[in-house]
Amino acid sequence: MKNWPWLILTPAIIFVLIGLFAPFLMTHDPTVQDYKAILSPASWSHWLGTDYLGRDMYSRIIGGARTSLVAMVFVLLAALVIGVVIGSFAGYVGGRTELVLISIIDIALALPSLIIALALIGVFSGASWSWMSDYWKMIIALTLAWWANYARMSRAVVVAELQQPYIEAARVMGASHMWIFTKHILPHVLGLVVVYASADAGALVLAIATLSFLGLGVAPPTPEWGQMLVDGMSYIEEFPSLVIIPGLALTAVVVSFNLLGEAFALQKVPKAVRGGLLRRKKATRAAEETARAATEAKV
Amino acid sequence: MQRMFMRRTGLALLLMLAATALTFALVSAAPGNVAALIAERAAGAGADGEMIAKIANDLGLNDPLPVRYLRWLGDAVQGDFGVSLRTGKPMSEEFAARIPKTLALLAGGGVLALALSLVMGLAGAVSNGGIVDKLLHGLALVGASTPNFFVAAMLVIVFSVMLGWVPTFGVSGFTSWLLPWITIALFPGSVLARVVRVNLQEAMSRPFATTGFAKGLTRRAVLLREALPNILIPYMTTFGAQFTLMMIGAIVVERVFGLNGIGAFFIEAIRFRDFIGMQAVLMLFVVFFVSVNLIVDIAAMLADPRLRRPRKA
Repeated sequence: MKNWPWLILTPAIIFVLIGLFAPFLMTHDPTVQDYKAILSPASWSHWLGTDYLGRDMYSRIIGGARTSLVAMVFVLLAALVIGVVIGSFAGYVGGRTELVLISIIDIALALPSLIIALALIGVFSGASWSWMSDYWKMIIALTLAWWANYARMSRAVVVAELQQPYIEAARVMGASHMWIFTKHILPHVLGLVVVYASADAGALVLAIATLSFLGLGVAPPTPEWGQMLVDGMSYIEEFPSLVIIPGLALTAVVVSFNLLGEAFALQKVPKAVRGGLLRRKKATRAAEETARAATEAKV
Repeated sequence: MQRMFMRRTGLALLLMLAATALTFALVSAAPGNVAALIAERAAGAGADGEMIAKIANDLGLNDPLPVRYLRWLGDAVQGDFGVSLRTGKPMSEEFAARIPKTLALLAGGGVLALALSLVMGLAGAVSNGGIVDKLLHGLALVGASTPNFFVAAMLVIVFSVMLGWVPTFGVSGFTSWLLPWITIALFPGSVLARVVRVNLQEAMSRPFATTGFAKGLTRRAVLLREALPNILIPYMTTFGAQFTLMMIGAIVVERVFGLNGIGAFFIEAIRFRDFIGMQAVLMLFVVFFVSVNLIVDIAAMLADPRLRRPRKA
């Protein structure tokens, strides 16, 4: 772990820690409005001042980290599972099934993920979906918009790996499909996809904030950075800090995750760390390039 | 060659059809929605089930999905995209009023991103590992990570509130376009600067660069004359991808700066459950994204003969 780019990872790690321990770090309830302390400057009781409803900015920033972290983890895990399952199934089975699944993946990738997520949120706004809260609508929309990237990546790895001689050897030895897949193929797929997904976290945090900024993600009073920022826009002339503070928090986290992604893409992360779960001895070049193109092409 | 063009174009058309069919199926996934909304508009809260059923029947909303899709597609090809449920105007009118604004935004942003990336990438390559290079690398990273709504907000704070150079909101002349353009150009510009920088570095390590040095050319001459043409293909491909992604930036920017373009309309359509408007805009998006990708593919094939050979399966 010596060669890890610790410095650039600091904001990401702080973000995760703050998200995990948010309830212990907040000094106020981030949703409680105090009309006696509206738009007050930073002080001992309100470390970063208060917003236009007298809510404590510091606690809202902390709470926002938790909101983003929870949503991000949900979306990332769900999209990863769906993408890996569909993608590796398509790659392993081949033939007509693969063609159909690939077409679906290609259609899903024809539009940027965020636009798909927006469209799905629009669909979920229909009367028949009113049982779902805005928060879950956003999470499901983002998941459905995100899985195709991982599916394409997984399929590329599976197809490349299936051409390796050791797979044929295993088959000659009488190994079942299940055995070959779980013992030989899946570790390679996970090795690559999990790494790229972790680097994707920044794009996802950004997407969550953007949706909330547009008023289509996390609804008030739940604290969320994008939504805090859009609320602050009305007071931008007198109180720019309402905009700058959540914006800086968001930027720091995204920069940090993107640096992590760059470190992975350039293979700067030490081999020892990539070993174990992330084992991939000779994932062929084609697969890596496809995967790289997939991560680069999206936001 | 010609065959490849035809094949790509055919595939693109197929993708457009499939994608619009999918969005159509999705948007109409909640049956009765549109009819109920129209009834609500017409009769206020007094819309009863009978009225909704009648409207649904009149509009043919009870027909099977494929029939409705084909009917919608037939109308759309002839320029009839339905009537927006929110504004009550035909979508073709909304498009005519709004598309020019969004296009102006994208075009200005695209030109700016082009200039920004070439300047940043070349300056980095000239400096080659020096302080300028490192600085620009950092700048490109921050540019590619800062949310565009935050960029917009910061620009407003600095140039409108503090300096008072440009209007905060709305469109009034050339200067009001500057902040929106800068906002949407920063992200693609930063990503493209990295593409220029990395590919120049790669080209400089190739044998033809060594030959150039051996001929006695200066580093700058090798860089500009020998290495620069090599970045064309990766640059074009990334530019195409980034140009389409600028549409997301446009959605955000139109909201922040109060430009009434397609992006702002899309967000309003989602919020007001204007399913007809949503469907029309999504179709527009699909056509836009798929065509830009097609143009980039064809341009890359024109620029690089190696890509013209049909791919082996």
